[in-house]
Amino acid sequence: MPLSVAVRAAQLTKSYGRVRALDAVDLTVPAGQVFGFLGPNGAGKSTMIRLLLGQARASSGEAWIFGVPTTDVVAAHARLAYVPADVALWPGLTGREILELLANVGAGTDRAYRDELVERFELDPSKLARAYSSGNRQKVALIAAFATRAPLLVLDEPTAGLDPLMEQQFQRAVREARDRGQAVFLSSHQLAEVEAVCDRVGILREGRLVDVAEVPALRALHRTEVDAVVSGPVPDLSGVPGVSALTADGGRLRFTLSGPPAPALRALATTEVTALRMHEPSLEEIFLGYYGTVQA
Amino acid sequence: MTATVTARPGGTLLAGSPGSAITRLVWRQVRRGAAVVTLCAAGISALVVATYDSVIASAPGGAASLAALAGNPAIRTLFGDPVALDDPGGFAVWRTGTVLAVLTGVWAATATTRVLRGEEDAGRWDILLGGVAPIGSVVGRHLAVLVASVTGVGAATAVALIAAGTSPAGAVLHGSALALVGAFAVAVAALASQLAGDRAAATGAAVAVVLAGLVLRMVGDGLDPFAWLRWLSPFGLSALAEPFGADDPLPLMVLAVGTLALLLVVPAAARRRDLRGGLLPARGPRRPRTALLGSVSGFEVRGTLRPLTGWTLGIAAFLLLIGLVSRSMTEFLAQNPLFAALAAEAGFADLGSVEGYAATLFALLTVPVGGFVASRVSALAGAETARRLDLLLAGPVTRLRLVGSVAASAAGGALVLTVAGGAAMWTGSRLVGSGLGLRDSLAGAVSTAPVAALGLGAALFALGWAPRIVGLAGMVPAAGGFLLTVVADSMGAPQWVASISPLTHLAPVPVAPPDLVALAIMVAAGAVLAAVGMIGYRRRDLA
Repeated sequence: MPLSVAVRAAQLTKSYGRVRALDAVDLTVPAGQVFGFLGPNGAGKSTMIRLLLGQARASSGEAWIFGVPTTDVVAAHARLAYVPADVALWPGLTGREILELLANVGAGTDRAYRDELVERFELDPSKLARAYSSGNRQKVALIAAFATRAPLLVLDEPTAGLDPLMEQQFQRAVREARDRGQAVFLSSHQLAEVEAVCDRVGILREGRLVDVAEVPALRALHRTEVDAVVSGPVPDLSGVPGVSALTADGGRLRFTLSGPPAPALRALATTEVTALRMHEPSLEEIFLGYYGTVQA
Repeated sequence: MTATVTARPGGTLLAGSPGSAITRLVWRQVRRGAAVVTLCAAGISALVVATYDSVIASAPGGAASLAALAGNPAIRTLFGDPVALDDPGGFAVWRTGTVLAVLTGVWAATATTRVLRGEEDAGRWDILLGGVAPIGSVVGRHLAVLVASVTGVGAATAVALIAAGTSPAGAVLHGSALALVGAFAVAVAALASQLAGDRAAATGAAVAVVLAGLVLRMVGDGLDPFAWLRWLSPFGLSALAEPFGADDPLPLMVLAVGTLALLLVVPAAARRRDLRGGLLPARGPRRPRTALLGSVSGFEVRGTLRPLTGWTLGIAAFLLLIGLVSRSMTEFLAQNPLFAALAAEAGFADLGSVEGYAATLFALLTVPVGGFVASRVSALAGAETARRLDLLLAGPVTRLRLVGSVAASAAGGALVLTVAGGAAMWTGSRLVGSGLGLRDSLAGAVSTAPVAALGLGAALFALGWAPRIVGLAGMVPAAGGFLLTVVADSMGAPQWVASISPLTHLAPVPVAPPDLVALAIMVAAGAVLAAVGMIGYRRRDLA
């Protein structure tokens, strides 16, 4: 197996009694890639991460971190850093002491960069962990993980407690990690975040990996919504290549467009177009499409 | 309720009563432990009464020789003043009363900080207090359930004693004493939960106060000039009531009033503080202390130091007292030349010398040392449940190495505790000039350490296969063994029953040389238990 593969899973399966939390997942994340792992609550995202970290044992199948079986935690964990979804810290230690402990125990830390991250995330490291809010606990774990030189960062819903400014800092840190060549395995249901930082997305539903796609390709799979207002004669777009779901309401035309837009634009150009709005679906809409739920 | 709430058509609006929901919740959290303590207290008391005739009949000289033996300050210090040894109930109170009161008190204190403070620290009270019940009433409900639980322990013991044929007055008095010691422990632990900043500190303070009460009783019983100290201790007040003897309810009333006063303060204290804060000022920001943060093993040592200091101080204070009492025992022996022979015949070998007295009490040292070891493995299991291990184990650290550091620092701590105990006993005896040698004292104390190794093995076994009962499993060899020895001795059980207890296999060092074979078997059994536990721990999913 090439060492340029950061995460590989083969038929990875985890059952709890009769419940299949993870069902025969095959996945490959190349080194240096930011991979978004999407899915609703209970889809099996955290189970997948617990298997990758060796916290839980697979019922069947295998997984590797840079070619090292996940069961060999000493070798595998020398290549990764981890931020759990719910960060629990030692209440009697200060933030600085916890960062020091994790740096000494973990995969090697760039202390200068860590101090810079402490500033950027506006963490007061002299406080005892018991005094930290959940967002601040998350910052401690994020700083510790980003400051490592580990070639893989495993982040499990890492921004749930962060405010928008800190969310920006998080996205910046992810990009810096990618620029250094670190791979990021980012489990999330914050679609805007995944869209902003990920190269590739895997979508998990009820324990099964239903799709893996490049973020631009995933978006291109889907049609563009077009909303046009015309004055004068309404052009007949039915039969124009790529146009479907056409509705006309007086001078207002709505349709969805797939493939190259030129034929539809030419047909529209035969009349006076007073307003034109083309809307590319967000990852969120794609995501909701997968689960067949549209929320109000 | 004045607000208009409309139920959805066809739906049921659960107006419910929040109070009884909380009561049920607390009861679910304590019922298992309450049942175990109740069964122990009632069952052991009844057993001892039921077997009284055969035990006394088989003792050389009968109740009279037993009374002489019980008059020995060493035995008095351990079991309390013998009040009515010629009565089956009085004998049961003397032989098991202190042990059962300590069991009830320590359980009540730890259960109280667990449900009052541990649940709050875990964040679950945020949800509980988001309901309509105010904090004062939530705390009050908790106290009511806890006090009811210990009342159940006392009531069951009284009923069991009466059923076994003792006089009702003494049985009710003894049952009330057990219940009141438990209620006192609940009150102290509940108050500590309001003062301290977290569960660990509250538990430490509460257990320390309860055990300090025991030490006061021991000083009062062992040293005549300090007999008045018993009025300051729940254990002392229970003894002063003299169940099956004078049957005097006054000391218990004093205890009841004191306990009630403490209990009444608690809800008021709870209203005055922030959730997850304590009334004592919290420590603020500080400069980093980076010592012992360099590795998993170092970090474990760092985490052990503070609790170890507490346990060391407690054990050293206790054995210093035992050492100080040793003088009055020597005087007693001088006045009772026949005593040594009597004691030897009654099965208390070599109590006739200060060394024999020390050896008997060093066997008791296994209980707190076993408790320390169990608490360290239990802390690891707690860190796992609280998800604090996630970040550590995401580093290049195997589970085996993590457990290895915990086991090593627990074993090291146990050794420190036995050495401190031996040194304290020697210091006490030297201060009063009873002639116990330092080498003898240290040898006697350290030779009990293999029982802690057995406890460590049992706790690690549970960590692998039944992580929810780690603390209990770790306590079985020492505390369970001690309880079994007491029961087996009191009811004259066949030898094989007592031989289940590891304490039976400790040679009385320094009177006799250590039984190296028995000690090696204990250490080996502990190692096997630990190894089997690690097979499970490596395989299982973490919480």
